[in-house]
Amino acid sequence: MKRLYFDVTKCLACRTCELVCCVGHSVSKDFFQALKEKKVQLPRIKVSLGKGKTMPIACRHCQDPKCVDACIARALTYDFEKKEVVHDKDKCVGCWMCIMVCPYGAIRPDEEARQPVRCDHCVEIGEPQCAKNCPTKAIKYQEDNKK
Amino acid sequence: MKHICIIGNSAAAISAVEAIRERDKDSRITMISDEEYPAYCRCLISYLLAGDISEGKLALRPQDFYTQNKIDLVLGKKVVKLDPKKQRLTLADNEKIEFDIALIATGARADFPDIKGINKEGVSGFRTIKDAKDCLTWAQFAKVASVLGGGLIGLKAAYALRKKGLDVKVIVKSKHVLSQVLDETGAAIVQRHLEHHGIDVLPDQDVAEIIGNGQVKAVKLGSGKVIGSPIVIVGKGVKPNIELVKESDIKTEFGIITDEYLKTNVDGIFAAGDVAQCFDLVRGAAYINALWPNAIEQGKIAGANICGEKKAYAGSLAMNSVEFFGLPIISIGLKKTEPGFEALEFIDKRNSIYKKFIIKENVLKGFIAIGKINNSGVILKLIRDSIDISSIKQDLVSDSFSYARIIDLVGKDEIYTNIPAY
Repeated sequence: MKRLYFDVTKCLACRTCELVCCVGHSVSKDFFQALKEKKVQLPRIKVSLGKGKTMPIACRHCQDPKCVDACIARALTYDFEKKEVVHDKDKCVGCWMCIMVCPYGAIRPDEEARQPVRCDHCVEIGEPQCAKNCPTKAIKYQEDNKK
Repeated sequence: MKHICIIGNSAAAISAVEAIRERDKDSRITMISDEEYPAYCRCLISYLLAGDISEGKLALRPQDFYTQNKIDLVLGKKVVKLDPKKQRLTLADNEKIEFDIALIATGARADFPDIKGINKEGVSGFRTIKDAKDCLTWAQFAKVASVLGGGLIGLKAAYALRKKGLDVKVIVKSKHVLSQVLDETGAAIVQRHLEHHGIDVLPDQDVAEIIGNGQVKAVKLGSGKVIGSPIVIVGKGVKPNIELVKESDIKTEFGIITDEYLKTNVDGIFAAGDVAQCFDLVRGAAYINALWPNAIEQGKIAGANICGEKKAYAGSLAMNSVEFFGLPIISIGLKKTEPGFEALEFIDKRNSIYKKFIIKENVLKGFIAIGKINNSGVILKLIRDSIDISSIKQDLVSDSFSYARIIDLVGKDEIYTNIPAY
């Protein structure tokens, strides 16, 4: 199972990851087209400022996910085969329980769509765009080194 | 063969069964519920009433869940008695079921206040599919609905009925709505928002009588005012369903008393969910936080312990997230300061944004977020783990506050520090 790793020492807070995340979740998957789409996507990764460092924050697909436990609509589930937290838009009612319980603040509300926004490893493309495009290679998408 | 009986079929019961089946594929499992439906997402009934979702969306598990997990499901039957000595359940029709291990996950029910006329047709709690369907039927012919109680259940019902186009009156005993969940400042923002969307909130009101000839016609307030309303929703809190153990040695207080393994005082009998009285992490004392995420977590732990593990439950927390007409509201832990506490607040009334942090000796005890709710889970973690926040106190109210600010306080995080080599 692959997951995202972040080398904080290399992050320059350029926010390329946020930009390519939005493009990766657009309809066209093209930067210039994406800007013209009816809905500009929100980034699922956010560069945040800590004490003396900047770091990208994104859903880490916890193995014991609090968001799945808290979801009142069974929209968030854990896929044991893929080892990923999966979100079903059709079931989601936008109650924001997931946002209340994510200890990493990695889920954010898309208030307009009434849907939570979180990293899906760019499932439509098949490869997280943030890791692919990070200019300093601070973001890596690779096998879990533990399990 | 060991026989595990699970009394209940909602959040705690389902998550317990899954935890049991992860560990034990063989034991016989029976689930008994007095409701007629397979497990459903209880918290979604307001969305069903509002017309936001169809009934099909309520299913908590796929249709084949019970057969896949080899569960004998008994629906529409109430367990009236649990005899721990004989290890036997008695159902309302006097049928007896013997068990080796039992989990009491009977949940809670709407608490009906002692008001004249409260049993009339047209008065309902708001907790089950049946309640929502009754309201749906009544709402077809009604123009006005009254909601008794300004708590979360009452307001969710009010929101749904308003979305159905009814004229909704929320009759509240306290000075403001959500008095169990918000402070006055926060409640005022929510109340204004509700009123802006056509819900009429009547604070400081007692209900004297529910008027009607068998069928509800009106609600009479303590002030003498009469509100014509053929629907009355009772949202005055819930009562744990503990009656089945009343004659037994199983100890109860507010609910069924459990130890840190969610076991009752009798070996082999466990309790989880809205019926179980557990340790409250913020209050530091026993309490019932009858909430969906708590029930799921308790079910998981009880299930593991039913299989002989020794998994401890840290405790429950008051935590609520709800949205009314586009205004998100999150409340965690305590909502008001006590002597010796400090509070940090941010308010932007024009945009209905409010944040409040309640702190005792540099540990967060409560949090309110209205309008902007990003990173609420980070705050929940600080509360749950009683993390000393003295070094980040000045950052809390900032819009840029995030997990990045607390990473040094929570210990090693392998995602950021344990970077595997290429």
